[in-house]
Amino acid sequence: MRAVYEVGAKVEDLLDPRAAAWNAAKSEVVKLVGTPIGLQPTALIRNSWMNKKIGQIAQVRVAAIHNGESLAFHLEWADATENRTNGDNSVFPDAAAILLPVGDAKKVPIMTMGAPDAAVNAWYWRANQNEVGREVVAEGIGTSRTVDQELVKVNGVWEKGIWRVVIARAFKVESKDPLAQLASGQMTGFGVAVWEGNSGERGGIKAFSGDWLPLEIAAQ
Amino acid sequence: MGASKRQLAMVMDLNKCIGCQTCTIACKRLWTRDEGMEYMWWNTVNTQPGLGTPKNWEKMGGGFKDGIAQPGQLPTKTDFGDAWKYNHEEVFYGGKGTKAHLEIQGEAPTWGPNWDEDQGGGTYPNSYFFYLPRICNHCTNPACVAACPRKAIEKREADGIVLINEDRCRGYRFCMEACPYKKIYFNHEAGVSQKCIFCFPRIEQGVANACARQCPGRVRFVGYLDDENAAVHKLVHKWKVALPLHPEYGTQPNVYYVPPIGPAGFDETGDVDPSKPRIPNEYLVHLFGPDVLPVLEIVKAEMQKTREGQKSELMDILIAYKWKDMFGGFDRDPAEIEWEKGVLDRS
Repeated sequence: MRAVYEVGAKVEDLLDPRAAAWNAAKSEVVKLVGTPIGLQPTALIRNSWMNKKIGQIAQVRVAAIHNGESLAFHLEWADATENRTNGDNSVFPDAAAILLPVGDAKKVPIMTMGAPDAAVNAWYWRANQNEVGREVVAEGIGTSRTVDQELVKVNGVWEKGIWRVVIARAFKVESKDPLAQLASGQMTGFGVAVWEGNSGERGGIKAFSGDWLPLEIAAQ
Repeated sequence: MGASKRQLAMVMDLNKCIGCQTCTIACKRLWTRDEGMEYMWWNTVNTQPGLGTPKNWEKMGGGFKDGIAQPGQLPTKTDFGDAWKYNHEEVFYGGKGTKAHLEIQGEAPTWGPNWDEDQGGGTYPNSYFFYLPRICNHCTNPACVAACPRKAIEKREADGIVLINEDRCRGYRFCMEACPYKKIYFNHEAGVSQKCIFCFPRIEQGVANACARQCPGRVRFVGYLDDENAAVHKLVHKWKVALPLHPEYGTQPNVYYVPPIGPAGFDETGDVDPSKPRIPNEYLVHLFGPDVLPVLEIVKAEMQKTREGQKSELMDILIAYKWKDMFGGFDRDPAEIEWEKGVLDRS
């Protein structure tokens, strides 16, 4: 996956998933799989989902654009149900996230959502807070925590069975927490996760892209 | 997670509960008045036998069987009996005088938190019912704590109170599936799960729970289970007349019930038959397990002693001659305390 460089592209423009820049950007299809039942963190979750399908969304189309200062991802996937609320308790809002390693992808295990001193950094969007992106840090399964709700910019639009979501953030951010720091010309890894809220997907019950996928942030 | 050093407990004497819901309102006024909490009743009182709150909760699963976490159903707002909306504006401010009356707005509800009140069971003349107040059981083996993937629920080491940390909670509601008593609610405004907090800000000041203090029937005893001077200790451990609800759910509740004796039944000629209890033993065994039968015998025997003019420590405790003796030392008057504002203020 290559995040293309677009001189002068504005994040606020890119946050419109239907912006012309996204039509022009080269995208690729990323296959998703359900998270393994054995890696679910509690017995209740494992016992409840043993015979249920995890990972309703089989693939997501991804494109990425940067302007030398910020990186924006465009995710597009088919979902027949638009879940923006928690319904009558029994459904969940749809959600998606980009996962990045903090530091060298080779040293950060993605399957366990990082490890102590080998953090992963998620840029998280959830349909019930469409304009509030979350900066999430995890150092192992069950450790994820939201560390900021302003740095990550998000916007999702659902139309005719398709979610189009943009998730963006500045390359460099100041934080006391371990967050991914990016730069033009960098080679790193990324992952994608999508939650289909109508099927009860939330937390670790999600579709994800498996091992780190290569991400090249084009040089300026 | 280690076991708590001490455990707070509540004992409710079902022989004294009159179903007045003062406990329910005391709790509502104190804790669940914020936006998103409209449908929450951390304290409920339902008529037994009945479907309860949420509707049919006893069949919703969760808890543990042979130590294995059991899947459970997510109770919906409709199951709990959503907060009905009324035309308050029209009635109180619409200038229509007596022409406007309070009416439920929108679709007619089909369930509420006390929908099957006083229906009960049995067949006339042996019909029967009793009231069952419920709060979070602050279990020793809490299914909610075990189910949460975010470690957002804590069982406090010092007193065993189970609390949801709203900063960690992300509203995934696995706890609601796991709790076999279905005493956890989801707040759609705050995006977090919420439940009875055992009035911990009061407890920390030596004040008993609002539901207990406000109870006109002196139904509820509060205290540390290991405090030999506390009524809860005497009822649970010394006299062994207080039992948890549905012990087979495997979570070891710390709310205990003195089972209801109920009146004697009638025989086919219409005469009272003291050998036939109106509340069937099988039903009480269903609720409290087989230990309920010897408990009933103990309570009846102690009642008989007092009838014969003898002294009974158990009856003295249950009658609760001295109100403050019910609270295991948590007997400070909340009116005398200067409370910090916004104990639960999320803003």
